[in-house]
Amino acid sequence: MQKRWQVGIAAFILMLSAVFGVGATQLPADTGYAGIGSAFMPAVVALLLLLVGGLLMWQACTGGFRNFTDGVVDLVADHRGALWVTAGILASAALITKLGFVIAATTLFVCVARGFGSKTWLRDAITGAVLVLPVFWLFTLVLDVNLPHLFNVWF
Amino acid sequence: MMETWTLLLGGFGTALQPMNLMWAFIGCLLGTAIGVLPGIGPALTVAMLLPVTAKVDPAGALIMLCGVYYGAAYGGSTTSILMNTPGESSSIMTALEGNAMAKHGRAGPALATSAIGSFIAGTIGVVLLTLFAPLVADLALKFGPAEFFSLMVLAFVTVSSVLGASMLRGMVSLALGLAIGLVGMDSIAGIPRYTAGVPELIDGIEFVLVAVGLFAVGEALYSVLYDPKGDVTARNKLTSIWMTKDDWKRSWPAWLRGTAIGFPFGSIPAGGAEIPTFLSYSTERKLSRFPKEFSGVGGKGAIEGVAGPEAANNATAAGALVPLLTLGIPTSATAAILIAAFQNYNIQPGPLLFQTSGPLVWGLIASLYVGNVMLLVLNLPLVGMWARLLTIPKPQLYAGILVFASIGVYGMRQSAFDLVLMYVIGVIGVIMRRFDFPVAPVIVGMILGPMAEKQLRNALAIAQGDWLIFFKQPIACTFMVLTIAVMFVPIILRKRGVRLSEDD
Repeated sequence: MQKRWQVGIAAFILMLSAVFGVGATQLPADTGYAGIGSAFMPAVVALLLLLVGGLLMWQACTGGFRNFTDGVVDLVADHRGALWVTAGILASAALITKLGFVIAATTLFVCVARGFGSKTWLRDAITGAVLVLPVFWLFTLVLDVNLPHLFNVWF
Repeated sequence: MMETWTLLLGGFGTALQPMNLMWAFIGCLLGTAIGVLPGIGPALTVAMLLPVTAKVDPAGALIMLCGVYYGAAYGGSTTSILMNTPGESSSIMTALEGNAMAKHGRAGPALATSAIGSFIAGTIGVVLLTLFAPLVADLALKFGPAEFFSLMVLAFVTVSSVLGASMLRGMVSLALGLAIGLVGMDSIAGIPRYTAGVPELIDGIEFVLVAVGLFAVGEALYSVLYDPKGDVTARNKLTSIWMTKDDWKRSWPAWLRGTAIGFPFGSIPAGGAEIPTFLSYSTERKLSRFPKEFSGVGGKGAIEGVAGPEAANNATAAGALVPLLTLGIPTSATAAILIAAFQNYNIQPGPLLFQTSGPLVWGLIASLYVGNVMLLVLNLPLVGMWARLLTIPKPQLYAGILVFASIGVYGMRQSAFDLVLMYVIGVIGVIMRRFDFPVAPVIVGMILGPMAEKQLRNALAIAQGDWLIFFKQPIACTFMVLTIAVMFVPIILRKRGVRLSEDD
C-alpha cells in the first residue's frame, strides 16, 4: 500500500516535469540581452521536477521514502470521516449559488462536525447558522467582499 | 541615530491613531486565538484576511496582519502548557517543559514566564529591528539584481532543505511551488505561460486558494483521516500565575539568552523558529543549576526550559521582519503571504521601502511596540479566557475552520468552482502531510519564484548574459557559497540526532 502510493507520487512529479518541459519548448525562444527568455525558468523548473521526481522514484522502489518524522509511517486512516468532510465541501460548492449562503455554510458545518464524530446534528446546525451570520456581515459589510444572498429562496 | 528616533516617533504618531490601535488590537486578538487553537496557524489566517487589503488603508491592514503574525507566537505557548499538544511546532520545546510543570501544579508560573518572556524578547527584538533595519536597508540599496537573485536562491534552499525531515521532499515541495508560480503572465516579456488559454489564469493561480487548500482543508482532512478523536490527554488545571522570587531569578537570564539566540536566527534568511527554540532549550538545559528538574530526566519541569525557548520564539518572529522589510525576502510561509499583502497595495518590500513608504514602515514598526504591550495584557491576566478556547470540541472547531476557509475562498471571485479546487488542493495537502512533505516551501516558492526569475533575467541582461556575474561580485558570491554550505546543515544535524519538522 505504502509503496504503491510512493511510486504514484513520484510518477505524478515526473508527469508534471513532462508537462512543464513540453510547455517550455512551446514558449518563444526570444532571449534579448540576458541570453535567456520566457522559456528559461520553465525549463529549469521542469528539470528540477525531473531530478527530484527521479530521486523520489528511486527511493520509492528501493525501500521507500527516507527519514520520516517519528510516527508518520504507520498511520491508520478513517475513511468514513473523510467522506463526510468531502461531502460537506462539495455540497456547499453546489448549494452556495442556488440556495444561498446560510444553507450552504450550515450544511458544510454539519457535515464536517459529523465527520469528526459529532452526533448532535441539530445542535450543530444551529451552531453553524449562528456562526455564519456574523461572519457573513463581517465579510459583506466591513470588508466589502461580495457574497451571495443569505437565503436565495426567500430574498 | 537621531534620525531613526525621529522617524520612530513619527511612526508612533501613525500607530497610535485610534483606528490603527483598533486594527492592532484585532490582529493581536485573532493572532492569540489562532495561536491557542490547534489546527490553524498564522499563515492560513493571514491568507484568509487578505481581502481586507481591498478596503482598509495599507497602514491599518498591515498593522493588523503583523499583529496576527506576532500574536500567534504568544498564543502557542498556552496550548503547549495546558495540553500536551503544541499549538505551533515552534512551541514543541515549551510543551516539553511547560506541560511537565503544569502536571505538577505549576501551570500558572509556566504561562507567566512564557508571556513575560515573550514580551521582553518581542520588545528587545523590535528595538533591534528599529536599529538594524535602516542599516540593512542602506546596505541593501547597493544590491543589484545579481545580489538579490543569489539571496533568493539562499532563501529557497534554507526554507526547503533546513526545515523538514528530508531535504529531497523539501525540494519536491519547493519545485511544486515554483511550478505553480510559473502559471500566468511572464512579468518581463508579458507572455502568458501555462494558462491553457484560460483567461482567469493570466493573473496566475490565486495563492489564497493554495494556502487555504493546503493549510485549512489539508489539515482538516488529515485530522479526520488519521486523528479524528484527537489526543484525549487530560487538560492541565490552570493555577495562579504568580511567579515566586526564585522563578523570576531563574527566568531572567533565560529570557535574555533566548532573545540573543532567536533574533539573529530570525534575521538571516533561514526561516522557522524551530532551530532557535531547540538551541535555546539545550542551552538552558546545559546551563541550569537544576538539571534534575528537566522533564527529559523525569523531573517536574524546569522554568528556564519554558522561559528560554518562548523568548527565542518571539525574538525570531521579530528578527524575521528584518529580511522581510529590508530585502523583501520571506523566511516562512506567513512572511511570504505578508509580502503578498504588501504587493496588493503595489508596495514592494525591499530596501526602497524605507524611502518610498517611510511613514508606513515606521508606523508598522511602532505598532509592534504597541502590539507587544497589548499581547502581554491579553495573555497574562486574560489567560483563563484563552484556556476556555481549548474546550471547543474538535468536530465543531474544524467545522468552524472550514466554514471560514470556504467563505474566504468563495469571497475572492464568487466562484463555486474555486471551492472544488480548494478541496482538490486540500487532498494534495493531505497526501503531502501523510508522506511527510513540508508545505511551507510550496507557498514560498510560489511567491518568491516569480520575483527570483525577474531578478535573474535583469541580472543577466545587465551582465550581457554572463553567468559568472553571480560569482564575480563579492556579495552575490558570498550568498552562493552560503547556499551550498547550507545544504550540508541537515546532514550535520541528522548526524547529531536532531530531527526537524516544519513550521508555518
